[in-house]
Amino acid sequence: MGHSRIFPFLTPCIAYFGILLAGCGTVDLEIRRGHTNSNMLPRSVAILPFTLEEPDPEEVSPHELFRTCFYNYFSYLGYVDLPLKTVDQKLSQAGLTDSNKILQLSPEKLRKILGVDAVIRGRVLSASNFTGGIHAETSIKAKIDMLDLRTGDILWETEHKEMTYSGILSPTIVDIVQGQLANVNVHQAYFKTAEIFLVNMMKEIPDPANSWKGEIRLPEITYIETNLKPNLKLKPNDRIYVSLKGDPGLTGYFDIGSWKSNIPLKEIVPGLYTGSYTIKTSDKVTNSLIIGTLKSKNGLTGKKFYKNGMAQFDSSSTN
Amino acid sequence: MTSLTIAKNISGPRWCRPLGMFLLAILISGCASDLQTKVSGNLNSLSKDQTVAILPIETSHAGQKEMADMFRQGLYANLKQSHFNLMEKYIVDSLLKQNNLINPANFLTINPMQFGEILGADAIVFSRINKVARSYFIIHSSIELSVSVQMVDTRTGEILWRAEQTEHDFSGIGKIPTGIFTALFAPIQFVTNKFNLRKMTSKMLDKLTALIKKPENAETNTKFENLVIAKKATTDLKKIAELQQLKAEWTQALALDEETKSAVLQGETPQETRKETLALKNDLLPPTPLAGGGIQNKVRSMVHKVLAVETEMAPLATVPEPKEQKVATPTPLNALKATLATPIHIENHGKPPREIVKPEKNIKNVPIGSAAFYTVQVGAYKTKAYAQNLLSKLVKKGYNAFVTRNNKKIYRVQVDKFKNKEDALKLAQLIQKKEKLKNFITRATAG
Repeated sequence: MGHSRIFPFLTPCIAYFGILLAGCGTVDLEIRRGHTNSNMLPRSVAILPFTLEEPDPEEVSPHELFRTCFYNYFSYLGYVDLPLKTVDQKLSQAGLTDSNKILQLSPEKLRKILGVDAVIRGRVLSASNFTGGIHAETSIKAKIDMLDLRTGDILWETEHKEMTYSGILSPTIVDIVQGQLANVNVHQAYFKTAEIFLVNMMKEIPDPANSWKGEIRLPEITYIETNLKPNLKLKPNDRIYVSLKGDPGLTGYFDIGSWKSNIPLKEIVPGLYTGSYTIKTSDKVTNSLIIGTLKSKNGLTGKKFYKNGMAQFDSSSTN
Repeated sequence: MTSLTIAKNISGPRWCRPLGMFLLAILISGCASDLQTKVSGNLNSLSKDQTVAILPIETSHAGQKEMADMFRQGLYANLKQSHFNLMEKYIVDSLLKQNNLINPANFLTINPMQFGEILGADAIVFSRINKVARSYFIIHSSIELSVSVQMVDTRTGEILWRAEQTEHDFSGIGKIPTGIFTALFAPIQFVTNKFNLRKMTSKMLDKLTALIKKPENAETNTKFENLVIAKKATTDLKKIAELQQLKAEWTQALALDEETKSAVLQGETPQETRKETLALKNDLLPPTPLAGGGIQNKVRSMVHKVLAVETEMAPLATVPEPKEQKVATPTPLNALKATLATPIHIENHGKPPREIVKPEKNIKNVPIGSAAFYTVQVGAYKTKAYAQNLLSKLVKKGYNAFVTRNNKKIYRVQVDKFKNKEDALKLAQLIQKKEKLKNFITRATAG
């Protein structure tokens, strides 16, 4: 008698918690043995175009959206990731536009084309978005791995299905209505589902950030000099000369505050960069500091402010 | 479309309308969000050539670290969709660590320009988790998140984006549970499941970053009316301007001082020197009865001011001092040494007789005759002890040195008395050569 009273309550309780737990599943990422040492992890990575096993469900391309979202989150980790546009350009230049064919390329060929240590390969196995009645659901099932192009080994891989759901099993009526409204925007619904998938996944991917930290060094600028003097008012055709001394063989430029950016500097002797800017009649700069910049090939920039004079335009000269 | 119009459009039996309105009201109030965001017009000028660094998130409570990490990751992923280039997180963290900048609570006290030099970034994003509150009471639970974000241009100190957002969501009777079990367990699940916090953070970031991802969509009410400069940058920019002004004046004063000294050495009378000085530089210096001394004092006070301002602007103790400052700071040594040879007796004519410092025990008393004489002045001090110190050194070396005090209470260390200027000049050269003391010849009268 007692059992019959408890069971009607117990069954829905278990079912409810089952649904709740299903919503917050973790991504099961398998890291292949021998690839846990962060010092051995690849440095540069390219994310190859993702494929979709099924035809595009609607006007959106969930695999492309998923790739973009993956890149946004993956960049947070300590890999040097090639921008997606660059990857696509390099592949396109090599005559490769079919995503499925790209996945079949050998590691050697991929390395030659992209010039990176590893690639991420993604296959969206299924993607669906459905809103009907009180039921709303968006799901993405994908298989993703990282292929080390130096060795040809797969470093890690995962196959996971992420689903956002609202319906009869939602705890409240408001949740059902909110879920329905959110699911109607297909693009947004896929993006949100992809985000949940990836936030969970990123926690599992080995992050080599700590291995590189010691190596980070910005280009050094020893000094910066300009012909600007305190209280000097610039007039049209006046020329601001800038010279800076720093690490040799880099790209140099200077900014006049945020008003004029990336004015090129020329390296006249190793480590000595000079450049100039001629004030135009239309220029109206006020109290701007000159900032010298040296940029290395890996994109790191060193900056130095010239604090002994500011660029100030003589407003009376235009009157 | 407002909730009212939506409610009006709901067709069906009469009771449906109030129910519809009720549901809509719940929808709106159930997940409340308060967002205040503004951008600068200059945000549009950031392109992929400009780098933005997201600094580690400041928290108001130690238990918010996980939320802070989640927020930073989400902010990074969202800003990756914007017009500018984002600096990789591990590079930012590494450079901050190298400079011992590990406490996000201190970031706002550092000049953005300094971050520009440390990180090589064109703009930086400061963020703070103001509140993460989770509450539970039997059939009701809620989560409240509050964050503030600010993006500052390191080149100008301008605030490019500022936003504050509070997101509030709950689970309970107000959301109309679908059953008795959900009424009991959903509130527990709501506050304990990290997934909900993540979902709320994600939702919050969507709204928070919507404007910065597309700043061209900014309307008048979401744009700064005027240029807004970060507080720390304003202070330091003012200091830079002040420093530049002081240096400019200092250079002028030094040049003037050199002229005065050379005029004295050439044997011009103090009166003539003063007249000429004032005639030449009347626009630079106020007519003062002690033109030479005035210039010196001005130079000295400027040196002090410049040093004071530079000290205030010095980088944090934790940051290696930029070499630039050494290069950029005009060496004040000449100016300071010059005080040893200041002609400060120019305006003595017709004034009360100068006070002679009473000889100390170890100081040789030098009798002052009544007639005019030439002497070599090697120092002038406001503090008697400094004058005595120099005096004793010179006396020990056998110089016939003495100290006098004028009506401005300046203690002057002078050496010997000569009838003719040539003899004084010889001694002046000797002192300069042997003692490396800057000096000049001055004409004085005793009494």
